[in-house]
Amino acid sequence: MFSWGRHLQRRELGFLGVVAVTLAITALYLNAGLRLADRGGVGWRTVDLGALQRRIESGELRDREADWYHPATAEEATAGGLR
Amino acid sequence: MVAVTCELCPRACVIPESGAGDCRIRVNLGGRLRATTYGRPSAVHVDPMEKKPLYHFRPGSPVFSIATAGCNLHCLNCQNWQLSQRGGEEMEQVYRADPPLLIDTALEQGCESIAYTYSDPVVFYEYVYDSAELAHRHGLSNVFITAAYINQAPLRRLCGVIDAANVDLKAFDDGFYRRVNGATLRPVLEALKVMREEGVWIEVTNLLIPTLNDDLAMIRRMAVWIRDELGARTPLHFSRFHPQYRMRNLPPTPAATLDRARREAMDAGLVYVYVGNVMGHEGGSTYCPVDGTLLIGRTGFWITENNLTADGNCPTCKEHIPGVWR
Repeated sequence: MFSWGRHLQRRELGFLGVVAVTLAITALYLNAGLRLADRGGVGWRTVDLGALQRRIESGELRDREADWYHPATAEEATAGGLR
Repeated sequence: MVAVTCELCPRACVIPESGAGDCRIRVNLGGRLRATTYGRPSAVHVDPMEKKPLYHFRPGSPVFSIATAGCNLHCLNCQNWQLSQRGGEEMEQVYRADPPLLIDTALEQGCESIAYTYSDPVVFYEYVYDSAELAHRHGLSNVFITAAYINQAPLRRLCGVIDAANVDLKAFDDGFYRRVNGATLRPVLEALKVMREEGVWIEVTNLLIPTLNDDLAMIRRMAVWIRDELGARTPLHFSRFHPQYRMRNLPPTPAATLDRARREAMDAGLVYVYVGNVMGHEGGSTYCPVDGTLLIGRTGFWITENNLTADGNCPTCKEHIPGVWR
């Protein structure tokens, strides 16, 4: 009787190993993405500060202080989540 | 390096010095959060009220409509992405329009209201608040066209100066919000309840995207929620999707889908359910729920006939139609 197990050679085992490692890395990557998406306080973006300052100085944009913010606590800097 | 936490929307961005919030326009400069587009709109138009869409609020009146760059949502199908998905420093066109000039211009243009619209006005909150307060002092109304992704405290304060809102309820599904809009559903529902409690006139828009949020069971759940939490006489607009931005792989919404959604919402008990973005559709007009009289006929954004009495009653049976009619 034909048996897969008996006919698996070193080369096939290597290939299956590569597939398994690839799947594991993909799963870890997707999981990390999901965890990142669920964290709050990660939504900040870099900004072209030079361009922003130039436009503020020329009056095209403003540096009016915003309402509704506070200095971040240490906890906030590391934790949170989309609520 | 002083990081700040923005309290305006549910994202709660923790922004390091010289960084911007997720909305791109609230920037931490020197440990203080700055509203960089305050008084600096990048879109300014005079629109009919029907374009917002608001069908039960001063119908046919011209509304001075403004928006600045930035948005706290990132919808794959955004129709204003060139405005909403950029920071102020990236815009080619920025107008200087601090609140007093904005109000003067709106009055000069013969407008009765100011609409904070196009991108999401949540992100230029301070500009909206100051302009709206001044607009009231000059006899203008304020309408807020939003996805309502905002925290309750700032929203309650804003409700004091807002007369009407059209809230874009993207879908009645949190997964859809996360995948398509980069947001979550619950804060939007809470915001709608806050607006109702605070006495803001609310209309709800739901853009139907083929295969993504056109499931009739979900539409029924949404209609039931609106009926129970906001009231059966809250206008609901089903709007037609057109492929754009990062969602060009789907076709425009078939008219039959909009018809089915409208029927489902009316079966669930909603009284005023409209179809938008379909020229000449009968679902774009307002009918008396008692005797079926055509009250306001519309084609596109234009009113073809208005048979409502001045105080908002059906001319035939005298049924009062909820809304702000003058």
